[in-house]
Amino acid sequence: MDSHSAASRLTDEPWYLPLADEVQIFEAAYRARLPVLLKGPTGCGKTRFIEHMAWRLYRESDSARRSLELPLLTVACHEDLTATDLVGRYLLSGNETVWMDGPLTRAVRSGAICYLDEIVEARKDTAVVIHSLTDHRRVLPIEKTGELLDAHADFLLVISYNPGYQSVLKDLKPSTRQRFVSLVFDYPAIEIEATIIAHESGVNAALAQRLALVGEKIRNLREHGFEEGVSTRLLIYAAQLTAGGIEPRRACDAAIARAVTDDAEVQRAIGAIVDVILP
Amino acid sequence: MTATAARDLAGRVCFTDIQRFLSLFAQGLAGKFLHVKVIESQATGGGAKRFIDGESIHVPADIACFSAREHNLGAYRIAVLHQIGYLIEGTLEFDLAGLLQQHPRPALLRRVFGTLEDMRIEAAMRRRYPGARVDLDRVQAHALALRPQTQPMRPVPALVEALLQYSLGAARDALQASTRGELLAKLIDTAAVVQRQGARVADSAHAALRICAELGNLLRRLPRHFVTPTTPEEFARLRDSMESLNDDEFSASDAAGLAFDYRGQLMTDPSAKRRTGGQFAAAGMETHAAPGTVAPGTRDAADARDAPHAAATIARAPVAAGPRSFLYDEWDFHRQSYLSAWCRVYEQRLRGDDFGFIGGVRSRHPALEKEVRRRFGSIKPLSWQRVRRTSDGDELDLDGVIETVIDRRTGHDADSHLYVRRDRARRDVSAAFLVDMSASTDFPLPDPAAAMTAPVDAPAAQPPDSGLYLYGGHDESPAAVSTPKRRVIDVAKDALALMCEALQTLGDNYAIYGFSGDGRHNVEFHVAKDFPDRLRSSTWAALGAMQPRRSTRMGAAIRHSITKLAREPAGMKVLIIVSDGYPEDHDYGADRTDREYGIQDTARALQEAERAGIVDFCITIDPAGQDYLRRMCAPSRYLIIDDVTALPRELSKVYRTLTS
Repeated sequence: MDSHSAASRLTDEPWYLPLADEVQIFEAAYRARLPVLLKGPTGCGKTRFIEHMAWRLYRESDSARRSLELPLLTVACHEDLTATDLVGRYLLSGNETVWMDGPLTRAVRSGAICYLDEIVEARKDTAVVIHSLTDHRRVLPIEKTGELLDAHADFLLVISYNPGYQSVLKDLKPSTRQRFVSLVFDYPAIEIEATIIAHESGVNAALAQRLALVGEKIRNLREHGFEEGVSTRLLIYAAQLTAGGIEPRRACDAAIARAVTDDAEVQRAIGAIVDVILP
Repeated sequence: MTATAARDLAGRVCFTDIQRFLSLFAQGLAGKFLHVKVIESQATGGGAKRFIDGESIHVPADIACFSAREHNLGAYRIAVLHQIGYLIEGTLEFDLAGLLQQHPRPALLRRVFGTLEDMRIEAAMRRRYPGARVDLDRVQAHALALRPQTQPMRPVPALVEALLQYSLGAARDALQASTRGELLAKLIDTAAVVQRQGARVADSAHAALRICAELGNLLRRLPRHFVTPTTPEEFARLRDSMESLNDDEFSASDAAGLAFDYRGQLMTDPSAKRRTGGQFAAAGMETHAAPGTVAPGTRDAADARDAPHAAATIARAPVAAGPRSFLYDEWDFHRQSYLSAWCRVYEQRLRGDDFGFIGGVRSRHPALEKEVRRRFGSIKPLSWQRVRRTSDGDELDLDGVIETVIDRRTGHDADSHLYVRRDRARRDVSAAFLVDMSASTDFPLPDPAAAMTAPVDAPAAQPPDSGLYLYGGHDESPAAVSTPKRRVIDVAKDALALMCEALQTLGDNYAIYGFSGDGRHNVEFHVAKDFPDRLRSSTWAALGAMQPRRSTRMGAAIRHSITKLAREPAGMKVLIIVSDGYPEDHDYGADRTDREYGIQDTARALQEAERAGIVDFCITIDPAGQDYLRRMCAPSRYLIIDDVTALPRELSKVYRTLTS
C-alpha cells in the first residue's frame, strides 16, 4: 500500500505548549464535529498538536471515548497517494480476494480522528472522498464495494497543508478549503521555542534560548533555497545531539546547516551565524 | 618579499571571495537584505567614507590585519556585526539632527555621541553574540594599537581620544595616568552607563551631553591663565594653549587613522535621508569630500545611487529595498582568462501600472493565442496511463491474479505485482526567458497600416491575426494612423505574454527576466516574473513595464540567470535568450568597437550554462546574427529571425522542441 499510515495508541499525553487559543478552538470544533485544517510550515508542531488533542479528547479520564484503541490515524500524504490508498482495496488472499479497509475507512468506522498530513500532495481523486465526509452528510462512499458508510459519531477529519512551498499546481481548491475550520501555525516566538527545545531535548534553558535565536536568524535566510526556514524540529535535533555529547556548533552543522540546504555558501553563512550566537 | 609580507598575503581575505557569504551573514542577523559594499582605502583616493544608512554595510576590499586567514575573516564578521548593531540597537531611529541643532559644539557632541554609541553597540554585541567576543577583542586590540598617544594632545582632544581608546578596551588606569586622570575617570563613569544591559540610544545621547558639558567647563577654565595678553608672544601662547572654540577639529572621524575601521561611521549626505528615512541623514554630519565633489568616492556607492534612479523610469512605485547586487567573473578572450568579480549585476523587480497589458496582447493576437495554446496543449500529458503489474494500485490486475493463482496451484512462486495503477507523466521543466532590453529594442517597426493603405501594389489583405498586426492596430479607420508605432521590445513582450499563458496551461515553472546596463559596474537584471511567483495582474504589469534601456552585456546576465536556474530543483532547465543584436557595452572589451570580446564572453557564459546542466537557446532578431551566433553557440542552439513578427510563433516552437 502506498500510504504510510501511523496509528498511535496515545497511552501517554503528548507534550504540547499552546501558542494561542488553538486548543480551545479545536475542542469546540470537535464538539460540533467540524473538520479542521492545520496550516503551517514544516516542523512547527502541527502533528504534535493533533496528537495532543487526540489524547485530550480520547484519553483523559473523563472521556467517554477511552475504550477506542486507536484514537488517531495519521496518513502522510505523498504524490502517489490515491483515494484507493485512503479508502481501501481488494487483496488476494489464498484463492479469493478480500477487502482491506484503508486508514480513512477504519477511522470512519471506529470513530477515530483521521489526520491527512500534507493533503495537497495527494492525487486529486482524494478530494472526492473527503468532500462527502466534511459536510452534513458525513458519509464515505466506497466505490469498489458499493458501500455508503455513515461516519461514526466520534469521527473527525483533520487535514494539514503547508502554503509555504506549494506551487500553483498544488494548491488546495477553495471547494475543499472552505469545508474546514482553519488553524494557522507558525514557528513560535523565541521564548516559547526555547521552552519547547529545552523540554524536548533536556538541554539547559540558556542553550535552548541560544538555539532558538539561531533559528530566528536562520529563518531570515529562507529565501535562499529553503523557503521553510529552519524548523523547530531541527532545532530540537541540534539540542538533542548536544545533550548527547556532541559539541554544539558541530551539532548545529549536522542538524541544521546541512539539513536545510545544499548550497555550500548558505551553509557557511549559517555556520557563521551559529558561531557568533552560541557561547 | 619579506617574510612578514608573505605571511600577510597568505592570510589576506578579499571581499570578492566572501561577498555572498557576508551578504547572507548580514541578512540572517539583521533580518533584512543589506547591501554589503566595499570601501576604498584612503590610499586609493576613496576617502574611506561610508554611510551607516540602514540599507548597506561597508567593508574594506580586503583585510590583512592578521596573519591568520580566519582572524581576518573574523574581522569582516565583526565589521558586519557592528554595523548591523546600528540597525538593531536603534541608533538609526534616533533624531540626532535635532540633538545637534541645539548644541553649541555639534561636531564635538557628534564625536562623543558616536564613541558612546560604539561602546553601547559593542557591549550589546558581546551579550547578543557571545561567540564573537574573541574576534571583537582581537579587532579592538588591533584598532587600539594604531591609536595615537594622548600626551602630546591638548586637553579636550586628549580626553576625547582617551574615551575612544577606552571604548576599544584600553586599561582605565593607564589612560587616567596619561590624561587628566580625575576628569577622565568622571567621563568614563558617565560613559559606562551605555554599556549596561538595556541601555538605549537616548542613554548615549544623555551621556554625550553630560560629557560635552564637562568638556565645555574645561574649555571655559583654560583661558583664565592668560587674562590679558599684551605681546605677540603671549597671544601666540594663548592661541596655542586655548582650545578651538569652533569645534571644527572634531569634524574628522573617530576612524581617521585606523588601518581597519570596522565600526563604520555615523555620517551621511543629504540624499541619505531620502534613501533611508532616517534622522541621521538630516544631521548635517561631516563629509570628507568637499561639497560638490563626487561623494563617497567609491564606485559602489555611486552605482547604488544610480540604480534606483534607473529603475524609476520604468517603475510604478519606488522599490522598497535597494536593488541587490552580485559579482560575476567575465571572460577576457584577449588574455584567455577570467577577470575575477568583474561585473556587478543589480537585480531589481519590474513594477508597472499597465494592468491592461495582457488584454491588449489578447486583442492584438486572438488567433495566435489560440494557436500557441493548441501547440502547447498537444505536449501536455493530459491522459492517464494505466500501469499494469505493480505492487500496489487502485485495483487488482485480472491477468496478474489469474497467473498468480495458477502459479500457486502449480507450486511455483507467485508474483506479488497484482495491481493496476494510473500514472500521469509529469513535466519537470524550469525555463528562464532572458530578454534583451537594450536601447536598440526601441527601434520602431514598419507601420503595416501604411502598407495596407497602399492603393495599387498592396499585397492581398492579411488575415485578422497575421503577423502584421503584431505591430499595428486592428482598426482600419483613420484613427489607426495615430496608433503609436510598435517597437522590437513591444513584440518581444507580446511574445512572452503569449508564452506565459501557454506555460501556465502546461504547468511548467518559468521566469521572465530582462537585462541591460551601463558598464561592468552596473549590469541591470530586471525581474518581471521569478520562478516562485504566481501569475498575477502585477506580473502582466511588470512584463508591460519592460522598456528599452542601455547596453547589452549579455555574459553577466546569462551568468546571473544560471545562478537563478541552479536553485531550481527541476530535472530539465532551459534558458532562452531573446535579443536583437550582438553583445555590446562601452567597456565590453578594449572599446565599444571590440565586438569579439563580448561575443567570446557570451559564448563562454553559454558554455558555463551547459556545464550547469542548462539547455540554452538564443533567438536573435537580427539578419546579421549569423555572423556572431555561429561563434557563440552550436547551430542547433540558435535561431535567427529576420521578421520580428514571427517571434511569438517561433518562440513557442523553440520551447516546444527544447522541452518535449
